[in-house]
Amino acid sequence: MNLVFAAAIGVIFGAGVHLLLQADLLRVVTGLALVANAASLTLMSSGLTRGREPILPLTGDAEPASDPVVQALTLTAIVIGFATTALLLALIVVLYRRRHSVDLDDLSREEAEAAARDEAEEPALDAWRELGLEVDEPEVAR
Amino acid sequence: MILVAGPLLVLWVAGLALAALDGRRRSVGVLAIAAVAVAFGLQAVLLGRVLADGPQELVAGGWAADVGIRLRVDALGAVFAALSSGIVVAALLQAVATGVRSRSLPALVVFLTLGLSGLFATGDVFSFYVFFELAMIAAYALTAASGTAREVGAAFLFAIVNLVGSFLFLIGIALLYRATGTLEMVAVAEAAGRLEATTAILIAISFFVAFGTKLGLFPFHFWLPTLYATASPPVAAIFAGALANIGAYGLLRFGGAILPNELALSATALIVIGSVSIAYGAIQAIGRRDTREVLAYSSIGHVGYILVALGLGEPVGLAAAVAFSVANALNKALLFLSSELRGRLTAAIFLVGVLSVAGVPPTAGFFGKAALFDAGVRAESWWTVALLFVGGALSFVYVFQIYQHDRWRPREQRERATPLGSAGVGQRLAAGLVALVVLVLGLWPQPLLAAGRDAAEAIVVARGDG
Repeated sequence: MNLVFAAAIGVIFGAGVHLLLQADLLRVVTGLALVANAASLTLMSSGLTRGREPILPLTGDAEPASDPVVQALTLTAIVIGFATTALLLALIVVLYRRRHSVDLDDLSREEAEAAARDEAEEPALDAWRELGLEVDEPEVAR
Repeated sequence: MILVAGPLLVLWVAGLALAALDGRRRSVGVLAIAAVAVAFGLQAVLLGRVLADGPQELVAGGWAADVGIRLRVDALGAVFAALSSGIVVAALLQAVATGVRSRSLPALVVFLTLGLSGLFATGDVFSFYVFFELAMIAAYALTAASGTAREVGAAFLFAIVNLVGSFLFLIGIALLYRATGTLEMVAVAEAAGRLEATTAILIAISFFVAFGTKLGLFPFHFWLPTLYATASPPVAAIFAGALANIGAYGLLRFGGAILPNELALSATALIVIGSVSIAYGAIQAIGRRDTREVLAYSSIGHVGYILVALGLGEPVGLAAAVAFSVANALNKALLFLSSELRGRLTAAIFLVGVLSVAGVPPTAGFFGKAALFDAGVRAESWWTVALLFVGGALSFVYVFQIYQHDRWRPREQRERATPLGSAGVGQRLAAGLVALVVLVLGLWPQPLLAAGRDAAEAIVVARGDG
């Protein structure tokens, strides 16, 4: 059973990381959701004992139980994972409205172009001018 | 006990109320400032109490200690809690004085402070994760709350990278729980001392990656520069001055108190990564012209010092790490808050920050670096001392470079670079208060050094087995 859990966590985590490395932002978010689930599963499996219920026995002579704490922890982790996924999807909506693309390559290309435009507008930093000396003002196209 | 739970209750109620209100209205912003200021006041009193009487504990709802939610504030947590809330008060003051453009900003900042206050106050590993995520989610929303596509893109990268770090941290917690069978920090620390080395190292690495990402250490730093450069100055100040404290606190708490053997084992690795971080941050910062980009890379460089101090280990190194973290958080908050303001007074305020980052007395930064030197000399780690000297010289170069570039250029060129123009009273007051704290700690460093020493002692005590 432990082996099954370990293998499942490994596969889910691996698939999640693979998706995280894609350029499509929706895949990135899906990948993150998978990583979140791998973490939840790790949390869950850290307290499981085979064939025992996760309920603390009230009477002294009851059978031993699985640890119930991890169930509560996993529930919390699921809620947090859900909230972050929702937030990331909202971010994607904002990005899509602004740029009409959810592809990282497109977005970074546009950003690089914008940066290049800014660079061109900024006049070259002149050491002389920094010292406050008069220099011939170059004609800057407006 | 009201001092322990009080800040959390105030912030929680205020956050919920503010979430329903329109944050662009000044009255709402003032309410948020008041809430965070009350929390800060309580935490400052709590800090005094903790330093005088030792750790304060509270188990919520009167439950048995291992069932209920346990809050436990020791000197380390109290120092960081008061520091972070104080910086948030100043940043929020400036944000409201500048004019809040997004509806949700005050509520998000209050929730972020709630998360920070909670994680510095909790005595339970899993509650730590929950508060940590609360602060981080508020931060993700804060970066995305306004702005252009570039800002949203930076926010997205920030969120993705840090979430991966968070989930690794969660996996680390699962492993730690499996290995020790408890979530209560003191008991975990006791049990962790008996772990097999392979298990403990695996757990330690996952924690290191998580907090390294949060701090923006060198190999995990790539989300940081664009974010700090695109966020508005108060938000950048909150990130660099308050949110980054999670990383420093986490490394001290989980490395110093819970897994001290593994920390000692990895001392060389920590010093190497820290040194690379210092060199990378400083060299990148020298090559930049944009003030806030310089500050962002400078942040990457300066967290390297914290790691080096941790690598030196033992009370002196830990105390230096705390003292330096406090000074560094104040410096970065001060520089970000005053970076866009113009006028004679704000130039003086900015200069205080510049001197403090460069480590020139009489500023807090001087004593932060002096504590590191002291730790390096006592550990007889001459390589570290040399590194501190070179790193200090480099930071001297880049902070004065930005001062010269920002303040000494002819007026018409400065106007281009500063859309905000002359600063208002509230904006200057916020930066001025932080500058005052930096100066006071520079003239009277006793509280800073004592806090570092007491926090280091608290870490050693929290190890349990001594």
